[in-house]
Amino acid sequence: MATGITIKGLVKRFGDKTIIDHVSFDIAVGELVCLLGPSGCGKTTTLRCIAGLEAPEEGRIEINGQPVFDSAEKLAVEPYRRNAGMVFQSYAIWPHLSVFENVAFPLRVRNTPNAEVEKKVMRTLDMVGLADFRARSAQQLSGGQQQRVAVARAIVHEPDVLLFDEPLSNLDARLRDATRAEIRRLQRELNVAAVYVTHDQAEALSLADRILVMSEGRIHQAGTPQEIYGAPRDAFVADVVGATNFLDIAVHAVGDGTVQGVAPDGAPLRVTGRMAAPGPARVMVRPDRLRVAPDAGEQGENCLHGTVRQRLFMGGHYEYAIAIGPTVLRAFSPVQVAEGGRVTVSFEPCDCIVLETRGAP
Amino acid sequence: MSASDAAIEMRAPARGSSAAAIRAIFIVTFAITAFLIVTPLVALLYGSFRTGGPGTNATYTFDNWRGLLEPAILDTLLITLFISIVTSLFSSAFGGAMAWLTYRTDFRFKRALVAAIGLSFFFPGFILAMAWVILGSPGGVLNAFLSEVFGIDSEPFDIYSVAGIIWIQVLHITPFAFFTLRGPLSSMDASLEEAAYASGANPWQVARRVTMPLMIFPLLSSLLLCFVLSVEQFAVPAMVGIPGHVNTLATELYLLISFSPPNTGLAAAVGLAMSAVTGLSIFIQRRVVHRRNAPTVTGKGYRLHMLRLGRWRGLAEILCLLYALLSFIIPTIALLYTSGIKFFVANPFEAAWTWRNYVQIWESPGTVRSLINTLIVAGGGAVLGLTLGTLIAYSTHRLRPRGFRALDVLASLPFGIPGIVIGLGFLWSYVWLPIYGTLWVLIFCYVARFLPYATETVGAQVVQLDKSLEEAAWTSGAGRVASFRRIMLPLLRPALQSGYFLLFIAYFREIAAAALIYTSKTEVLSISIWSFFENANWGVASALSVVTTVITVSLMVAMTRAPLKL
Ligand SMILES: Nc1ncnc2c1ncn2[C@@H]1O[C@H](COP(=O)(O)OP(=O)(O)OP(=O)(O)O)[C@@H](O)[C@H]1O
Ligand SMILES: [Mg+2]
Repeated sequence: MATGITIKGLVKRFGDKTIIDHVSFDIAVGELVCLLGPSGCGKTTTLRCIAGLEAPEEGRIEINGQPVFDSAEKLAVEPYRRNAGMVFQSYAIWPHLSVFENVAFPLRVRNTPNAEVEKKVMRTLDMVGLADFRARSAQQLSGGQQQRVAVARAIVHEPDVLLFDEPLSNLDARLRDATRAEIRRLQRELNVAAVYVTHDQAEALSLADRILVMSEGRIHQAGTPQEIYGAPRDAFVADVVGATNFLDIAVHAVGDGTVQGVAPDGAPLRVTGRMAAPGPARVMVRPDRLRVAPDAGEQGENCLHGTVRQRLFMGGHYEYAIAIGPTVLRAFSPVQVAEGGRVTVSFEPCDCIVLETRGAP
Repeated sequence: MSASDAAIEMRAPARGSSAAAIRAIFIVTFAITAFLIVTPLVALLYGSFRTGGPGTNATYTFDNWRGLLEPAILDTLLITLFISIVTSLFSSAFGGAMAWLTYRTDFRFKRALVAAIGLSFFFPGFILAMAWVILGSPGGVLNAFLSEVFGIDSEPFDIYSVAGIIWIQVLHITPFAFFTLRGPLSSMDASLEEAAYASGANPWQVARRVTMPLMIFPLLSSLLLCFVLSVEQFAVPAMVGIPGHVNTLATELYLLISFSPPNTGLAAAVGLAMSAVTGLSIFIQRRVVHRRNAPTVTGKGYRLHMLRLGRWRGLAEILCLLYALLSFIIPTIALLYTSGIKFFVANPFEAAWTWRNYVQIWESPGTVRSLINTLIVAGGGAVLGLTLGTLIAYSTHRLRPRGFRALDVLASLPFGIPGIVIGLGFLWSYVWLPIYGTLWVLIFCYVARFLPYATETVGAQVVQLDKSLEEAAWTSGAGRVASFRRIMLPLLRPALQSGYFLLFIAYFREIAAAALIYTSKTEVLSISIWSFFENANWGVASALSVVTTVITVSLMVAMTRAPLKL
């Protein structure tokens, strides 16, 4: 597949603080990549470097194979020559222009003939479901409508890349789901590379072809949502993409792809992962992968025994806090056990992953 | 795939092309600002060490600075400080009280009061002074009234005095205090006061223990601002002080230059000393503004708790009506009256009515030219001033290239320099230039003097506009110039309009800066009115004042939304 965006060795500093620290990645044409990470890790800055709104100190950026920035060649294409479409976190809808003129702006500055402007704007407004609002002043729109105007403005001129900076952060849950699906559909239709910044893990998991987890200006792990969620490299990534449980275990046998050890309560364990040698290790298992059952004296591999500390009804399931020795595990389960009851907690070896210890919380 | 060939072609390697253009614009802006503001100051500094004026055979000396310590000058300094401190106290008290009544109580005529204060805000100081001479001088209307009606012939009113100067200045400066204090008062978080009520405090305790302490920084800021406005006030002491032999620093400086032989060196030293006082006050005032810590509300839809004035309400309303009468209505009536009679008599029943004074305005070529000059200076000059101010505001708030802080400081310097001093600086530095004696000198001088009006008005709006509004235009494909023109300019329009209006009015009625640099060919309205008045031609002076006021007020009404919004 052709690459839509290529970034090599990007470095951005503010003063003597390095905000982006040698970041490199490729995004294929038609691919949607989410930048995920805690606040202040440099997601917005990365996006702004691609758009040309920040001047990086080092590195090279290509859009569709054309260099738009290269520190060695002293090349920096102005933002308005990069043919990008960007949705700002603040929407940046121009209050003095109507909905139609906001969306028409990218075409107007490219001297598009009026008839074509009319056609393209209306088609785009149709796509985002705002055709009836064309004459409205942008100030008379709700947050969700403004957001859709911002999306329409970003795609109307058929850009080479799409850049989204937390575009849904101000919407309510239902509108967010609907608009997210819409964004995905539009991006597929345009078949361009897209970068989507968010710090909402659910959004990243559901939307992305690939997720780049960022931390302190570096790409910490890259992979498909399934990989990131199912096989996080370490506790940091595991934490960023969703609620999770950590267990410290003692490993006594290392196999090919699996390791064996004992849990804090003495239960035998077999879990997924590679280790150089036996020793202490930290593993993680998602709360929804834990099976909870009333304690029937059952013993065996990956079967822990504990007491229910707390039970919260969440609608579709219960959320349990289960004390296993000194550790407390969170588990989501439809099974009903009263607080204080004894339970067994079990899981499949493939759902429990050995983590790298570096970066453990 | 949507990457068109055209789009690829557009991608010329462009590092620096627009960066260089921005740099160039910034440097030009900086150079013009520095030239306008630094030149007169340097000229003054130079002049303060010279034995004679520009073009004379002078040498270097320290006598001018020693001259500051002479008893006559020290007396003037003390009188100036006295007048300014008293003026500042009264203006801030009245302005603050009226702002409090308007925004914190159930006062009934809020809109009318704000309109009246707006009118007196735009009522030129020299016209107000003239009206009060007509009213309060020996032989003026008030004394005549006392004599006719009550048989008091001792002429107790004497406007030509320290008290007279203070009286007129308080009327004139009170609106500034009002406008300084109304923001903090109206945006103060009401829940702070409500919490005090809930704790059992009565309204007066709340005002004293909560509202006042929260307002301490805004009040301090208002006091300093009014003090500076009073120190630099030229029109009032010139019109009522000079005839009464009461001089302030501003008029002293003027007299040093305009009486032969002129003592330009001492005048320069006096001017710099004055600037030190005002500049320091403004510096402190700005620090205070930055520190003002009254918590404000930003949310919407809250209701202010309005204090019930009860039986005090009527009294408050009458006092405010009195302010409107004294600061605007009665002076206007006095001017209308004087402009419509053949020769001045205090008793309207003895007056001979005539249109002659108005006719004379049009028949005298000098006056018509001065009207045209004023319109050129105000109408055209304001375009230049606003353009420069916009460039500065955009540079210091948005572009922020290296050196923007220096530009910011430069552009706010004129706040601390009295008008008469800037005028003297221009007199000294522009004598050499070929434009001397043309309207350009006046225009440059006004642009420099009122630069902060432009940068503050436009700057406040630039700060409000999120940076992403412009960035969105760039990523949409609009270049720097196109996005400035299509996005920033329309969004800045309200600020540009009110900035233009402010500058127009300021240039239109300026007298202090013009007093030293006008020539017979470049006379402006304010100067004409003053000279008619000095030549005891009250009739024509009043008629011209009425014309000026009508122009000012109709402009204000036309653009009323900005200053009068309640
Ligand atoms: N113009 C600037 N000057 C100095 N520091 C900046 C600037 N812009 C961003 N930073 C710093 O760079 C770091 C990364 O900022 P960035 O906006 O990229 O974070 P982010 O990952 O988008 O965070 P969030 O999720 O909160 O939006 C932050 O520590 C921020 O303080
Ligand atoms: Mg961000």
